[in-house]
Amino acid sequence: MFSLLTSIRRTWLYRKTWPYIYWLPTVYLIADFFQLKTINGRSMQPTLNPDSSRWKDTVLFSKYAIRVTHDYRRDDIVLLRSPEDPNHLLIKRIVALEGDTVQTLPPYPIREVVIPKGHVWVEGDEHFVSDDSNHFGPVSRGLIESKLLAIIWPPERFGPADEVTRRDKKGMENEERRRKFRRSRVNISEVDQLSQPQPPN
Amino acid sequence: MTGPSMLPTFAIEGEIVIEDVITYRLFPDSIKRGDLVVAKSPVEPDTTIVCKRVIGLPGDIVCVDPTGEYAPTSEYIKVPEGHIWISGDNASFSRDSRTYGPVPKGLIIGRVLARVWPLRSFTIFRNPTTTIE
Repeated sequence: MFSLLTSIRRTWLYRKTWPYIYWLPTVYLIADFFQLKTINGRSMQPTLNPDSSRWKDTVLFSKYAIRVTHDYRRDDIVLLRSPEDPNHLLIKRIVALEGDTVQTLPPYPIREVVIPKGHVWVEGDEHFVSDDSNHFGPVSRGLIESKLLAIIWPPERFGPADEVTRRDKKGMENEERRRKFRRSRVNISEVDQLSQPQPPN
Repeated sequence: MTGPSMLPTFAIEGEIVIEDVITYRLFPDSIKRGDLVVAKSPVEPDTTIVCKRVIGLPGDIVCVDPTGEYAPTSEYIKVPEGHIWISGDNASFSRDSRTYGPVPKGLIIGRVLARVWPLRSFTIFRNPTTTIE
């Protein structure tokens, strides 16, 4: 038995393929946790796909931050399944987390919403061209698939998305204005929702 | 599986079931009323996975809470596009669409296929509903 193993180890095929087989699980995990995707559409303009750029942005998403560490923060850009059509992926910015009070924008019927447990409020950066929580209300966190880490392509826009928009002065002023507007509409809750007692499922 | 919400279909604890994930991924429209589905809980999506029965598909009109115990109203609503209405079999001990409303289809993981443990109550779950035209 032992001699059979050693003779297999000496074969040409084994020596050539074993390193690949050995690293396969690692490569698979990394490929599953970190994904490159090209952004279509205008809903995150001007942070992603600005009109001044000739290319569509290709960005790096991290599934790891969502699936393993459950790291959701306000102002994160996330990829989520559309609640209206599960085959459709949306890219939006988290505006409010559970327990926060949000002042909604026009298409939404109610002026103020308290985000229910396990939900988030997502919006595109240009809410008037974006199909976001102002249309379909708060969405469950379970629909969020991954979180944007950085823009990879085009090369002149390489870097973390929010930093890229702040590079020139006008972009920085606009981004500051949008951020202020976003924050002014959210009343952050102080209660730690996770420590509340749970009813049965 | 643990929890009282699916009595008498599932016991409170100590049962193992097989889930069919592939069919739902390939054919998302294969979900029917009466199927047992496994989904991420909309209120605790990071930690909890729930198993419930599908009551309504997109476009159906369902009664929010026939028992009147959970939701304050017993009004009828239309299940929105891309959502389903789910409910536990044990209505008095179940947190389901009556409390959190219609569930987006994106949260569904798969369908329960069979119970394999304990062996003497081995069951293949078939859809129990009959349609009356």
